[in-house]
Amino acid sequence: MVAASGLSKRVATAAGPLDILADIDLQIHAGEAVAIVGVSGSGKSTLLGLLAGLDLPSSGDVRLAGHHMNALDEDGRAQVRGELVGFVFQSFQLLSGLTALENVMLPLELANTSAPRLQATGLLERVGLAERLTHYPKQLSGGEQQRVAIARAFSMQPAILFADEPTGNLDSSTGETIIDLLFELNHEHHATLVLVTHDEALAGRCERRIRLEAGRVVEPDGTA
Amino acid sequence: MNRVTRWRLAMRLLARDWRAGELRILGAAIVIAVAASTAIGFFTDRLGRGMINQSADFLGADLVLESPRPVRTQWLAEARDTGLRTSETLEFSSVLVVGDRLQLASVRAVDAGFPLRGRLRTAAGPFLTDAEDVTTPAAGEAWAAPRLLTRLGLNSGDTLAVGKQSLVIAKVLTFEPGEAGSPFGLAPRLLMNLADVPATGVVQPGSRLTYHYLFAGSEQDIARYRGWLKSRLGPSHRLVGVQEGRRAVGTALERAERFLGLAVMAAIVLAGVAIAMAARRYSERHFDMSAMLRCLGATQRDLLELYLAQLLVLGLLASAAGCLLGWLAQQGLLVLLADLLPMAPSAPRAWPLLAGLFTGLVVLAGFALPPVLRLKRVPPLRVLRRDLSPLPGNAWLVYGAAVTAVVLLMWRYTDNAKLTLAALAGGAAALVVLGVLGFVLLALGRRLHTRVGVAWRFGLNNLWRRRRTSVSQILAFGLALMAMAVIALVRSDLLTTWESQLPVDVPNHFAINILPDQVEAVRGFMDAREVPTTQIYPMVRGRLVSINDEPVRQAVTKEAQSDNALNRELNFTWTTELQEDNRIVNGRWWRSGDSGRPLVSVESKLAERLGIELDDELGFTVGDERFSARVASIRSVQWDSFRPNFYMVFPPAVIERFPATYMTSFYLPPGDKPMLIELVRNYPALTVLEMDLIIAQVERIFRQVTLAVEYVLLFVLLAGFAVLFAALQASLDERLYEGALLRALGASRRQLRSGHLAEFITLGALAGLVAAIGTECIAWVLYSQVLHFDYSFKWPVWVAAPLLGAVLIGAAGYRGTRPVVERSPALLLREG
Ligand SMILES: Nc1ncnc2c1ncn2[C@@H]1O[C@H](COP(=O)(O)OP(=O)(O)O)[C@@H](O)[C@H]1O
Ligand SMILES: [Mg+2]
Repeated sequence: MVAASGLSKRVATAAGPLDILADIDLQIHAGEAVAIVGVSGSGKSTLLGLLAGLDLPSSGDVRLAGHHMNALDEDGRAQVRGELVGFVFQSFQLLSGLTALENVMLPLELANTSAPRLQATGLLERVGLAERLTHYPKQLSGGEQQRVAIARAFSMQPAILFADEPTGNLDSSTGETIIDLLFELNHEHHATLVLVTHDEALAGRCERRIRLEAGRVVEPDGTA
Repeated sequence: MNRVTRWRLAMRLLARDWRAGELRILGAAIVIAVAASTAIGFFTDRLGRGMINQSADFLGADLVLESPRPVRTQWLAEARDTGLRTSETLEFSSVLVVGDRLQLASVRAVDAGFPLRGRLRTAAGPFLTDAEDVTTPAAGEAWAAPRLLTRLGLNSGDTLAVGKQSLVIAKVLTFEPGEAGSPFGLAPRLLMNLADVPATGVVQPGSRLTYHYLFAGSEQDIARYRGWLKSRLGPSHRLVGVQEGRRAVGTALERAERFLGLAVMAAIVLAGVAIAMAARRYSERHFDMSAMLRCLGATQRDLLELYLAQLLVLGLLASAAGCLLGWLAQQGLLVLLADLLPMAPSAPRAWPLLAGLFTGLVVLAGFALPPVLRLKRVPPLRVLRRDLSPLPGNAWLVYGAAVTAVVLLMWRYTDNAKLTLAALAGGAAALVVLGVLGFVLLALGRRLHTRVGVAWRFGLNNLWRRRRTSVSQILAFGLALMAMAVIALVRSDLLTTWESQLPVDVPNHFAINILPDQVEAVRGFMDAREVPTTQIYPMVRGRLVSINDEPVRQAVTKEAQSDNALNRELNFTWTTELQEDNRIVNGRWWRSGDSGRPLVSVESKLAERLGIELDDELGFTVGDERFSARVASIRSVQWDSFRPNFYMVFPPAVIERFPATYMTSFYLPPGDKPMLIELVRNYPALTVLEMDLIIAQVERIFRQVTLAVEYVLLFVLLAGFAVLFAALQASLDERLYEGALLRALGASRRQLRSGHLAEFITLGALAGLVAAIGTECIAWVLYSQVLHFDYSFKWPVWVAAPLLGAVLIGAAGYRGTRPVVERSPALLLREG
C-alpha cells in the first residue's frame, strides 16, 4: 500500500545542510496498522509528510497505492491525496471560521459528493458530537476538536489514514478515548493506518512499529 | 473539481466567511472606497453640469453660430428636428442721431425667444435698480444701454430712429447674456425687435451684419447637432459653445474641476490602501484553509478559482452597496446644500453608478488580487508545520498591479494624460523613496530605544522586530494621511487664490475714453466723492507689424497667423510702475534711465503664442507712423482680475507723442450708482463700462464652487478616517495574539497598554512624517504643472501630519488593542 525506498530528506539551514531523514526503506501493506515511533525531533512528521505526498524527498522514492509520488506534480499528488488519503493531526487543524459540521463537509464538498450535509451529520453522530454540529472549533474542547478531525478524516472513506501524534495535545484519558475511536473507525472502514507517535503504549496497539532515531530506521521488525 | 462544483463551494465558503465575520474589514474597505468615489463622482458630475448651465446663462445659449450672412434654413430645420430650441438675432452698427448729437450704437435685433439661457436685466431708467426681465422688445420698441441714453441725452419713453424706423425707448438694458466677452471698444447696445429690421432699411448688400443663431437643448442633442453642423461650416462661420464661452470664470472653474478630480483620486488611493491592508489580512487568515484544501486534494487551479470567485462576488456586492451609499450621501449633500447653492443642480445620471462599480472592481483587482493570489501557493505541508507560509508576493506584481489600477482610474477620472503620467512617475518614485525612508526612520527610532522608558522600548522593539510589516504599515498610513493632506492643502490655496482674485472692493466699473485734458478733472471728481480708483492709464491703440524686421505674419507659426492680436488694434500704455497683479517672468522692469528708450514689456501669453522672446525687436504702427522697440521683459497678467491690463507696456516718453485717451477702473457700491449719471453728464466723451453684474455672477459661482470644495474636502477626510481605522483593524491580529501571550507570561496590563500606545504613536508619527515628505513633493508637481499656483514650502503640513498621525493612529490603535486586557489571554490565544 505504502512503500518507500532509499528515502532521504535534507534541508538547508543557517548552519549548513541538515539530514533529517536518511536512507529509509519501508513497506506498509493494505489493511495494516503501523506505528512510526521515535523521540521528538527524530523525523517522524517529516517521514509522514513524505509518505502522504505532502512534501518531496531529496532522494529516494515513495509509492502510494501504486502511484509514484515523485513522478507526479503537486496537483497530481493532490489528486491522489484527495482520493485515497485521510489525515489526523496533533493540532487538529480545524478551520476556525467553519463550524464542526462545515469542517467535516469540506472534503465532501470538494469532491462534489451528493448530500454532504447528511453524510457529515452521520459521521459527527458516530463520533458522539450530534449536539455540537453548529459549534465553532473555539467553542469545543481539545478532545471534541479531535473527534471532529477524525470524522473529517473518515468522511472520504480513505484507503490510508495518516495520523500525526493524534493524542499529543490531549490529556491521557481523553487521548485514550480518541485512540479507541480512531481504531474503531479504522476497522469499520478497512483502512490502512499509519500512526506517528512517541507514546510506546499507543504504538503497542498497532500490529507493527517502525522506530526512527535521528532520521534512520533502527528496528525494522517484520520486513516483508 | 469541475467549475460548477467550484462555484458552489466558493459561494458556500464565502457565506461561511461572511457569517464568521472574516469579510467585515475587506467588505467595509470596498464599500468605503466605492461610496467615496461614487459620492464625489456624482457630486462632481452634477456640479460640473450645473456650472456648464451657468456658463450657458452667460452665453445665452448652449451653442451659438455666428455668421455674416443668413444661414440655410435647412440648418435651422435640422436643429429643430434634433429637438433643439432656436433663436435668431441680427447685429449691426448704426449711427443714431438725436438733435445735434451723434452716437454709434451696436444694434441687436432679437426674436421673442431670445435669450435661450439666462435672462436679460432691465431698469426703468439709466443707473436705476435693475431686475430680471423675461420679455424682449416688442415691435416698435427699443431697449437701450444706459450709456447710450446718457450720450444722446435721452430717457426712457423718448423715441429715436434706427435707419428709417423710429422706435420708442421702453426700457434701459443693464445686462445681456452673450456680451460677457471683451467689453472694450464696443459701442453701446440697443436692443430691438427682429420684425422691425426690414423697415429700418439697414440690411443692404454690402452692409456689415452679424447673424447669431442660438441653440439650446439637452447635452446629447447639442453634441449631436454640433457634430452635424461642424462639417458644413464655411470659413466665415464661427461656432461658440459653453466651453469656449466661459472665459470670465474659466481658470477658476478649471481649477475647481481639477480639484474635484484630485479628490476622487485621493478617495481611490485611500480605498486602495484600505483594501490592500484588508486583503492581506484576509489572505493570511486563509493560509490554513488553503493548506487544508490542498491536503484534501484541491489543485492550485481549484484554489485559484475558488478565491477568485469569492473575490469577484464580494467585490460586486460590496461595490453595489458602496454605490448605493455614495448615491445617498450625495443626495443628502444636495439636500443640505439646497439653500446654499443658488443654482439648481441638474438631475443625476447613471454613469457615476457604473463608474463606482467599475472603480470597486479595479481597485479590488489592483490591491487585493496579489495577496489573494498568494493563497494558491500555500504549501500543503503547512498542515504539519504551521510556520510554513507561502513566499511573499512578488513585489513587482504587488506594486505593479496597484499602480496599474490607480493609473487606469486616474486616467478615467481626470482624462488628463499629463496629470496621470506625473502621478505615476511621482507615485512610483515616492513609494520606493518612502519605503526606504520608513525603514531608516524605524532604525533611527530603534537607536533611541536605550534612552527611553520601558514602555517605549517595548513599542519600538515591536516595530523593529516586525520591520517588514511595520514599513508597509507606515507606507499605508502615510499614503492615507498624504491623500488627506494634499486635498486639504490644495483646497486652502484654491480658496486663497479666489479670494485674492476677487477682493471685496475689486473694481467693478471702468471709465474709458477720458480725454487727456480731463484726466485731472476726472481724478478730482472721483477723489471728491471718495471713490477709490486704480491708476489712470494712458491708452494708445496700435498694431504689431514686425518681429525682428520680418513682417509679423511671416514671423509667426501657422497656427498663430489667425491670432486675433494680429488682426486688430492692441492697447498700448506707458507707466513707470508695474501693475499690482503683473509679474515679470523674464527680463527686467523699467529702471530710472529707461525713460525715452525704445523698450517694451510684452504680455507672456501673447509672447508665447507669437514666439516673441526677450531682446526681439518689435515693429509697431500707430496711425500711419512706424516705430520699433526692443523686448525688455515678458510679463504675466492676471486677465480675470477685472483690472485694466495691457499687452504692450512702454516706458514713459516713448509713445507719448501719439494721441492717447485715458482709462481707469474703480469700485462703486450698488447704492452709489446715480453718481455715474453726473460723471457722464460732466464728461460727455467719457464712457462707463459696468462690470458689476458680471462680477456679481462670477462671485456667485466662486461662492458655490468654494462650498462644493469644502464639502468634498469633508468627504475625503471622512473617508480617510474610515480607511485609517479599517487598515488599523487589519493590523491588529498579530498584536492581539502576542499581547495575550505576553500576558500569559506575566506582563502587566499597564505595561502592555503603554507599550501598545507607544508603538502606535510611533507608527502614526512616522507615517505622518512620510506623509509630509510625500505631500511636499506632490504639491510641488501639482502646483507647478497642473494647477499653476505659486509654490511655497508647506511647513504647516510638516507639523500637522506627524502630530495628527500620532494622535489618530495612537488613539485608534490603543482602542483597537483593548481586548488584550479586557478578555482572558486563554480566549485570545485560542482564537489566534
Ligand atoms: N524545513 C526544515 N528546516 C530545518 N529543520 C527542519 C525542517 N523540517 C524539519 N526540521 C527539523 O528536523 C527534525 C525532525 O523534525 P520532525 O520530523 O518534525 O520530528 P518529529 O515529528 O519526530 O518530532 C527536527 O529537528 C526539525 O527541527
Ligand atoms: Mg512531529
